[in-house]
Amino acid sequence: MFGLINIYGMVMKATSKKVITREEWEKKLNDVKLRKEDMNKLVMNFLVTEGYVDAAEKFRLESGTEPDIDLATITDRMAVKKAVQCGNVEDAIEKVNDLNPEILDTNPQLFFHLQQQRLIELIRNGKVEEALEFAQEELAPRGEENQSFLEELERTVALLAFEDVSNCPVRELLDVSQRLKTASEVNAAILTSQSHEKDPKLPSLLKMLIWAQNQLDEKAAYPRINDLSTAMLEDPAV
Amino acid sequence: MSTVTNDIDINNSKNSQDLGHYFLERSRLGSAQGPCDMDEDEEAPTELNTINSSGGFLVVSPDKLSVKYTSVNLHGHDVGVVQANKPAPVKRLVYYFEIFVKDAGAKGQIAIGFTSESFKMRRQPGWEANSCGYHGDDGLLYRGHAKGEPFGPTYTTGDRVGGGINYASLELFFTKNGAVVGAVDKDMKGPLFPTIAVHSQNEEVHVNFGQKPFAFDLKEFEAQERMKQQMTIEKISLPTDVSHGIVRSYLLHYGYEDTLNSFDMASQTTVPPIYVAQENGSCEQDIMYALSQRKTLRQLIRKGDIDAALCKIGDWFPQIVQDDKSATCFLLHCQKFIELVRVGALEDAVKYGRMQLAKFFALPGFEDIVKDCVALLAYQQPQESSVGYLLDDSQREVVADTVNAMILLTNPDLKDSRSCLHSYLERLLRQLTACCLERRTLNGDQGEAFHLQRVLNSSGKKAKC
Repeated sequence: MFGLINIYGMVMKATSKKVITREEWEKKLNDVKLRKEDMNKLVMNFLVTEGYVDAAEKFRLESGTEPDIDLATITDRMAVKKAVQCGNVEDAIEKVNDLNPEILDTNPQLFFHLQQQRLIELIRNGKVEEALEFAQEELAPRGEENQSFLEELERTVALLAFEDVSNCPVRELLDVSQRLKTASEVNAAILTSQSHEKDPKLPSLLKMLIWAQNQLDEKAAYPRINDLSTAMLEDPAV
Repeated sequence: MSTVTNDIDINNSKNSQDLGHYFLERSRLGSAQGPCDMDEDEEAPTELNTINSSGGFLVVSPDKLSVKYTSVNLHGHDVGVVQANKPAPVKRLVYYFEIFVKDAGAKGQIAIGFTSESFKMRRQPGWEANSCGYHGDDGLLYRGHAKGEPFGPTYTTGDRVGGGINYASLELFFTKNGAVVGAVDKDMKGPLFPTIAVHSQNEEVHVNFGQKPFAFDLKEFEAQERMKQQMTIEKISLPTDVSHGIVRSYLLHYGYEDTLNSFDMASQTTVPPIYVAQENGSCEQDIMYALSQRKTLRQLIRKGDIDAALCKIGDWFPQIVQDDKSATCFLLHCQKFIELVRVGALEDAVKYGRMQLAKFFALPGFEDIVKDCVALLAYQQPQESSVGYLLDDSQREVVADTVNAMILLTNPDLKDSRSCLHSYLERLLRQLTACCLERRTLNGDQGEAFHLQRVLNSSGKKAKC
């Protein structure tokens, strides 16, 4: 009974919008042709891009889905990423060059950010002299070529001016987030050098779903998925 | 306020029937060539329409791809106009065609544009209502008035000029020698015909409906258009680690247990730590059910060991194989038959077919698949035949997925029977596809549909194999 009243209310309210009932919508959903292989590929793409190398290998065996990249390269890429995350920047640079020397040669910004990270790690470890020497010899010449590099360098060196960095306005450079930022930049550069997209496709598709639902909202009232994590279909608001 | 319906279908037998048929459908999907056929079946212009053209003023070549103005023009009602044989298709991102000005003739009064079906075939496109034309002699754009508006450069002998419809931005655009000249709102109604006009002696124009390469890089233009949309979409933010959770539930749903374990193991050490949402309660429970049994059965089926799989199912979940005429049994029997053909045990295959498959011949819904299976016997090299898809790995996967779903359905604590059929990922992708399709329908069918395959193929990789 109540349901009936609701339906009438909906029809009366939505004068310009097309109203699609749950039943009609579910039929449309069922008519969609989706291939399992394609969903498998999407999952594989996520595992590979996000660096889940063991899971990707298992998934290849369990689902027969071929990864779109050589799995061995993931291990190398993740080793570089991990090195930056742990603060072993020198090690990371060496590993990147082992992987493909062109990555840093063709990407001065990335190289600068790695060097900057190295400087940050030296300062973090209290190696003031070494840090100064490194800044002057390795980073300053690069700053001359590029104004934004110079500003970044000056910002980083400011860390040295404070006995207690908690008072320092640029203290966020010492945060883990700075390492993560640098690590993800290297990660993206390696993927690009391997002719692979730097981001997995799944998040983009989820965003596209949100976008497509918003677009359709303008023209129709239909069952929506509001919570992506449960994929629950919810009746249109009345 | 919205209401969440969580209707639980008590009628289990009806449900498993539906489920089974879903998987039969998926089995058929393997036989379809290429991407899903939801659109792209639209006919596109291929040549000029010689019947409905202003005969007397122009001559259309025998291949129907070029026109020449043969008389001497006297007034504005003796324009030589010709439309394409079909209207521009709409279910795509962009429609585009091009002309090559072979000879600008006496005055170069050439036009390219779009007109409706009822267009008066003695006037320049753009001069009449509901038409649009880019004119060569003055470079003006005419949109339903005798007076043109400043638009682009003039064009003449040797130039390649194009006209297009951008269904994403709902604009008409024109090009000259490969470069976009400009775009205007597409305010015309109904099907639009690519149209060309000539209006002075010896003017000669060749048209290219895509049979030959265009001067304009259409692929790049389309890529740019998609990129624009993508930029808007990428700005949307997602809940933290939602993709991670969806992937995890997918692995759980299909019983990819080894992958799941590796995935979970790696997730524990990820920096920054993965935020795993609080257990999704009932939904999560539904797909945790009988994980290791589901994994084992999937492995057996993927190896092609159907006998062992049948045996284990009989031990663990006898209710699934109780009805020998169910879709699940059918698919298992078919697969057994296929495996026999694969290893070349044709006599055994024949015997098995007579015993287990013959009864399905008369059953609606099974007929076509059983015929395809048996047809494997007719070929010396069945994998190269039209029924070769049955020998693909994906067919084993379909059978494994069927069994997986049927096991999930035997869960006595099942909260939502629909969760057996579709993983979260699949539900989200279905919703995405349906939304895009519905939006297009409400937009006069204009624009392209969403195809997962296109997204998957649009990777940055090029020369790598």
